[in-house]
Amino acid sequence: MKTVEKEIGAILAGTISSITQRSIFNRLGGLATTPVQQLTPSDRSTILQELENSIRLFARSNSAQLIAACAKALTPGPGSPAGPGTSAAPAAMAAPKKLPIEQEKDIATARLEAWSEAVRIGLSKFASVKVATAVSELARNIVFYAGKGTIELRSLKDDRGIVGLQIISADQGPGIPAAKLEEIWAGTYKSQRGMGKGLVAVKKLVDDFHLDTRPGIGTTVTCVFRGER
Amino acid sequence: MDQELPIIQIRNCLLVSIQTELHDRLALDLQAALMERVRKVNARGVILDVSAVEVIDSYITRILHDIGKSVRFMGAECFIVGIRPAVAMTLIEMGVELDSVNTALNLDLAMERLELL
Repeated sequence: MKTVEKEIGAILAGTISSITQRSIFNRLGGLATTPVQQLTPSDRSTILQELENSIRLFARSNSAQLIAACAKALTPGPGSPAGPGTSAAPAAMAAPKKLPIEQEKDIATARLEAWSEAVRIGLSKFASVKVATAVSELARNIVFYAGKGTIELRSLKDDRGIVGLQIISADQGPGIPAAKLEEIWAGTYKSQRGMGKGLVAVKKLVDDFHLDTRPGIGTTVTCVFRGER
Repeated sequence: MDQELPIIQIRNCLLVSIQTELHDRLALDLQAALMERVRKVNARGVILDVSAVEVIDSYITRILHDIGKSVRFMGAECFIVGIRPAVAMTLIEMGVELDSVNTALNLDLAMERLELL
């Protein structure tokens, strides 16, 4: 069974020097020598967070692809002995992922998770960046306006085999008052911290968009990206 | 955790390579530090290298826009270099405008254009 160290080392070889790799693995502590298949989801996100920071810092180029490749290597996919009887199932059958969004650093984590999920289910490179951008906007809205909430990623597959990714952003924040919503869609709203364009941007990026907001109760945005054929 | 983005001077240009996650505090500090440096060294231009930034959303765009605008107020020009193709396509789809800054493919070309100003 391959350890995290071996699996990730193979990906980083040639891009990040072995000395630097050593220090990255040292920072991971015991997780570096754990077999990939024995990782819990929280181990995985800890490792990915650490790897993302390091790769951004040390890789001269292609950091996005490297991060995505690491995420892929750490995800028990087809062929791994985990999940009995599901080894031949397509990637799209993965369980939905629900990410807590509570502080600014969760925005980066959500973005990365969304990106690697998009790559994993086979969306194109451009589509994956769009997914990551939309998730970034939604996560930012949660942190800025609601304080906390969740972003859920679900991979979809329709009967013609076209894959897609559904993103559900939910919070129990103050909701968006109708008057403000009107301004947002008209493009005249300007927020203090952003451009007030986040929701409009998401709506333009995705294939399906649904907003449910109730003042005092919260906001849920459900959207879908469809892969190209 | 306090951090600061290094500002590098090349001839009469200031260069910042954005390698970390931008947030409110960091962005405001960068903006203030850049203004100060522009005045101190009579910089002709400010170049922001975003080639390490894989995702630019409307919030980051706003930050870049604000920095560009303030640099222009001081009488210098602001260049954003290294926007990735996928990022550019996404920005177009989002309908985001970045008209307070100039863009160049890379650092070399930005320097070249600043020399001509």
